[in-house]
Amino acid sequence: MIICIILIPLLAGILVPVLPFRKRSHKEIFLEGAVILNSILVWYLLLHHSESTFLLAHFTGDLNISFRVDGMSMVFAGLVSGLWPFATLYAFEYMTKEEHENTFFLFYTMTYGITLGIALAANLLTMYFFYELLTLVTVPLVMHTLTREAILASRKYLYYSLGGAAFAFIGLIMVIVYGTTTDFILGGVLDPGKIGDKNNILLLIYVMAFMGFGVKAAVCPFNSWLPQAGVAPTPVTALLHAVAVVKSGAFAIIRLTYYSFGTEFLYGTWAQTTVIIVVMFTIVYGCSRALKETHIKRRLAYSTISNLSYILFGAVIMTPLGLTGALTHLVFHAVMKISSFFCAGAIMHQTDKRYVHELNGLGYKMPCVFGIFTVSSLALMGVPGLAGFISKWNLAGAAVNSRNSLAYAGIACLLLSALLTAIYMLSIVVRAFFPGKDFDDGPIQNVHDPNWKMLLPLFVFTVFIIIFGLHSQPIVDFFYDVATGVY
Amino acid sequence: MYLILLPILFPILAGVCLLVCRKDLSRKLLTVTTGTCLVITGALAITALTRVKQDFTLFYLTRTLPVYFHIDQISILFSLLTVIVFLCAGFFSFAYMKHEQKEKRYYGYYLMAFGVLNGLCFAGNLITFYLFFELLTLSSFPLVLHTGSKEAIMAGLKYLFYSLCGAYASLFGIYFLCQNCDTLTFTAGGVLQVSAASKDGSFFLFLAFMMILGFGVKAGMFPMHAWLPTAHPAAPAPASATLSAVIVKAGVLALIRVIYYIFGADFIRGTWVQTTWLALALVTVFMGSMLAYREPVLKKRLAYSTVSQLSYILFGLAVMNEEAFTGSLLHVLAHGFIKGTLFLTAGAIIYTTGKTKVDELRGIGKEMPLTMWCYTIVSLGLIGIPPTGGFVSKWYLAIGGLAGDIGIFRYLGPAILLVSALLTAGYLLPLTIRGFFPGTDYDYQTLQKREPCPLMTIPILFMTILSVLIGLFPTVIVDTLTDFVSTLI
Repeated sequence: MIICIILIPLLAGILVPVLPFRKRSHKEIFLEGAVILNSILVWYLLLHHSESTFLLAHFTGDLNISFRVDGMSMVFAGLVSGLWPFATLYAFEYMTKEEHENTFFLFYTMTYGITLGIALAANLLTMYFFYELLTLVTVPLVMHTLTREAILASRKYLYYSLGGAAFAFIGLIMVIVYGTTTDFILGGVLDPGKIGDKNNILLLIYVMAFMGFGVKAAVCPFNSWLPQAGVAPTPVTALLHAVAVVKSGAFAIIRLTYYSFGTEFLYGTWAQTTVIIVVMFTIVYGCSRALKETHIKRRLAYSTISNLSYILFGAVIMTPLGLTGALTHLVFHAVMKISSFFCAGAIMHQTDKRYVHELNGLGYKMPCVFGIFTVSSLALMGVPGLAGFISKWNLAGAAVNSRNSLAYAGIACLLLSALLTAIYMLSIVVRAFFPGKDFDDGPIQNVHDPNWKMLLPLFVFTVFIIIFGLHSQPIVDFFYDVATGVY
Repeated sequence: MYLILLPILFPILAGVCLLVCRKDLSRKLLTVTTGTCLVITGALAITALTRVKQDFTLFYLTRTLPVYFHIDQISILFSLLTVIVFLCAGFFSFAYMKHEQKEKRYYGYYLMAFGVLNGLCFAGNLITFYLFFELLTLSSFPLVLHTGSKEAIMAGLKYLFYSLCGAYASLFGIYFLCQNCDTLTFTAGGVLQVSAASKDGSFFLFLAFMMILGFGVKAGMFPMHAWLPTAHPAAPAPASATLSAVIVKAGVLALIRVIYYIFGADFIRGTWVQTTWLALALVTVFMGSMLAYREPVLKKRLAYSTVSQLSYILFGLAVMNEEAFTGSLLHVLAHGFIKGTLFLTAGAIIYTTGKTKVDELRGIGKEMPLTMWCYTIVSLGLIGIPPTGGFVSKWYLAIGGLAGDIGIFRYLGPAILLVSALLTAGYLLPLTIRGFFPGTDYDYQTLQKREPCPLMTIPILFMTILSVLIGLFPTVIVDTLTDFVSTLI
């Protein structure tokens, strides 16, 4: 069953260029059908999961490729499988204006399977394996337009990711050497007997592995690939560079911290201090760069950099509440950011405008898109009643609760970043809705909202932003259970 | 129970409908609709104030965060002020907005701001309050940038970002309070846990200071006052009237709630926070008056005056005794009506003459006698000449200041208040003098009466009368306040 849900998208993706579709709509139905079927299977599996581990291949010793459903995988797999069908629907409409559609959908759909592989991996080695695959399978997507810019971006992405994975690999080795097993066990697997007096070495290795996986989570100073990768078609930037790929990085860090090294080993050490400082710096750095950036998608990419570090900030507080906050933001940010990216994509699709200063007065021409963009901006800022407020509330609550004065400073960073978020998001909204009195809407006379394939995902995400904002208790309770190891 | 929601939700929904509606309504229809909505909201708010005795939890954001409404004396005071000013300024705008564009958008946000302010008055705990505080900023900044000129848009953004900056500074405190208070429900005397207050006392003082600074942004307290003189002149006159009379008072309300209902006056009294707060308030009082005195543009002058007068209120709150607190509350009302009137008269003048600078308005009193008489009466009130509203409130503020246990500020405070009153006379009365006594070389032949239409004069007249009434019968208000003020101090 587990292997099924990883293979279906891979197969469906490979079949896209092979099958002789007579009409485009057939291809759409085939792909959408496969993705939805897979999502249903994922949810079925998550809801009826068993504790058992599925062993796929066995190498030597206790090195093996195996899968298991636990709390963390439920969160990540559930999130990814919830978003993918909508993103695919959106992509059908978006890709009508781009070329090489088949190649695009080939890799786009395969990525789904790979991401699920990361989510469901039962041990560090499996996760590492799929993590590398994810890099390889997404490179063609970044390269998609085949412009010089795209090729440079994809090359950079490739080097950064592989380099990061190499560092992470060192962490993997150390866990194998000093741990009892490579399986993910909440609380960590390090064996105190084996560690002896090598504490500091291990902490150093942790920081290295953190930075290694942090490349995908765009931790400063390894973040510059992400804004550049924005040259990819919007469905890729939205789903992969705001959710699947970058959150794999965050997910891997959480696995590493909570399930391999263990918070007991790391809590209160200089390693924790180091990573908190790095994360805090990234939060502020990402926001300030977003403020400076005038290209809409790149601005959102910088915003992603900052928000990913919110997640990591929760994670490196290293308490159950911190992990709860991290997971809350992992899920909520995914919905908010994919929504705002899809709005940016819809604007590009309808008007070919890419820069913030070109958006004057568009709000009245595309009321749905900009209305939704406004909601997601407010949510990202953290206005109460929307999703962002709850996740920030949980993160800050965890920081207060940890009684760690560095974490207090982290709250200040969060709020500073919220202010900057308000500035860079709302200045777009204000431009769109309040263009000024001398504004001439002649050139944008014929602009209108996109069709339902683009709007439906946007509406669904907006509804979720509001639901998460108003009634988040059940899902936050679930995250808390995950963080305390009930699931 | 649900009665308490109506004055909040009805105008917000009506405003959203106006904004979403794509059809161009005729001006008459728009005016009638908005007018009806305003009156209904006012009636609903008054009904809620008189009828609702219970508190009411709407729902829970999370397990520890209820959205909770509760009406107490403070709510009644602020809510009455809101209703009166919003109705007056609303009717005024029906005439004024003729010379602006996109009226539908203006009325949409105007109604929304009305509803949000009602919510702010009725909020029963800190989270609900914060929710409406953010919404207030978001629904009122479109009023500021309404005219759409470059300066207006920049002013709107400045207002927005200053306010958000303040809100986030306060949120920093809220995050910590949430875990160190048994409840965030507003309770007279404060809810901060004794253990937290004794163990991390200095840290919580720091938090209190952050929140004073943060919410003080909205109340135009130095050093974050700069948005006020930019935003007011840019907004249409009725919007500046509501902004100055009510919306900035949201900052005052916030400080009352946070200091007296969450931290508790006892926790702050006698600490460096109180001293700094007093100093900041007094600096603002003096600086605002001084800047107003030097300012040639009428609306900007009034905006600086607001900066100064609001800090009178903040000074009263910072002194933390009964007289000063009563004085602050009275000044909230008095300044609300007075400054509302002043901005509306400024609007009437701009509407009829198109002139914005004080120097250009020679002989205006001959042209618009009624408007200028109202202007003069309320100016006297703001200076603090009996028997108008401003006198009583300043009396209480000065008495409170002298009686307060606040070191050097005991004498410094009242002294600065007096100096500032002098400056107030200096910046408000020149318009009266120039208006009514244009000098011998004034050309009386071309003079013609240009009194604006009743839709403008009646709201002005009404608020003028109210501001005088407060001065004549202050005991009515003071008596109702005394009992509960003593529970707070």
